[in-house]
Amino acid sequence: MTETPKIQLDRVYAHPPAAIWRALTTPELHAKWWAPGDVRAELGHRFELDMGAWGKQRCEVTAVEPERLFQYKYAIGVLDTLISWKLAPEGNGTRLTLIHEGFNLDTPMGKKAFEGMRPGWPGVMGAIERVLNG
Amino acid sequence: MPDVDVFDALANPVRREILKKLRRGPKGVSDLASGFSLGRPAVSEHLQVLRRARLIREEPRGRERYYHLDPRPLKEVTTWLDAFERYAQDRLDDLGELLDREAGERR
Repeated sequence: MTETPKIQLDRVYAHPPAAIWRALTTPELHAKWWAPGDVRAELGHRFELDMGAWGKQRCEVTAVEPERLFQYKYAIGVLDTLISWKLAPEGNGTRLTLIHEGFNLDTPMGKKAFEGMRPGWPGVMGAIERVLNG
Repeated sequence: MPDVDVFDALANPVRREILKKLRRGPKGVSDLASGFSLGRPAVSEHLQVLRRARLIREEPRGRERYYHLDPRPLKEVTTWLDAFERYAQDRLDDLGELLDREAGERR
């Protein structure tokens, strides 16, 4: 097994793909729902997202298909994951799929996050499948 | 306390594969080693790392030792990943709110 754990989330928004695309790729809008940074829909573009307490995280765009796919390496050297945003029209809105993958169990940010949340979290035994299967 | 960190134990693909095999029930070393191109001593070493991380426990049966999965330390890892997932869920909520606001302003 070589896969690492990943997170995949789906959400349907009552807005057209173009509106979501703007929110994902325009710094001014991006800062309003996630983090400030010079994000841009351009293959190979390197940018930083200011994650506050987590510091500025370096990113690099790895795929751009306007209003369909925006993908970038996230937190290079710290968490080293890959984030993909997939957009597909659905009814009068858009299905947005977020895939955050490549979680390495042994990166500095991973360890730090783990240490910070060790106490108090309820354990879910069913989620073991997810960790082992990636 | 375990003397091997659960993350270190899981960082290796062979050890993750061993844990997956053990989900189907306890197994002996020879059985566990059969799926790998590694020699039995190498597999035994991986088993010792897993044992020290408390992810498996040994049971002597006749001449062979059997290994049982003990998933309790994995809870630490699943809650770790859950935290990233909750974070992502929050961001998707915030994105939805922004989209609603922006659409309102355009009308």
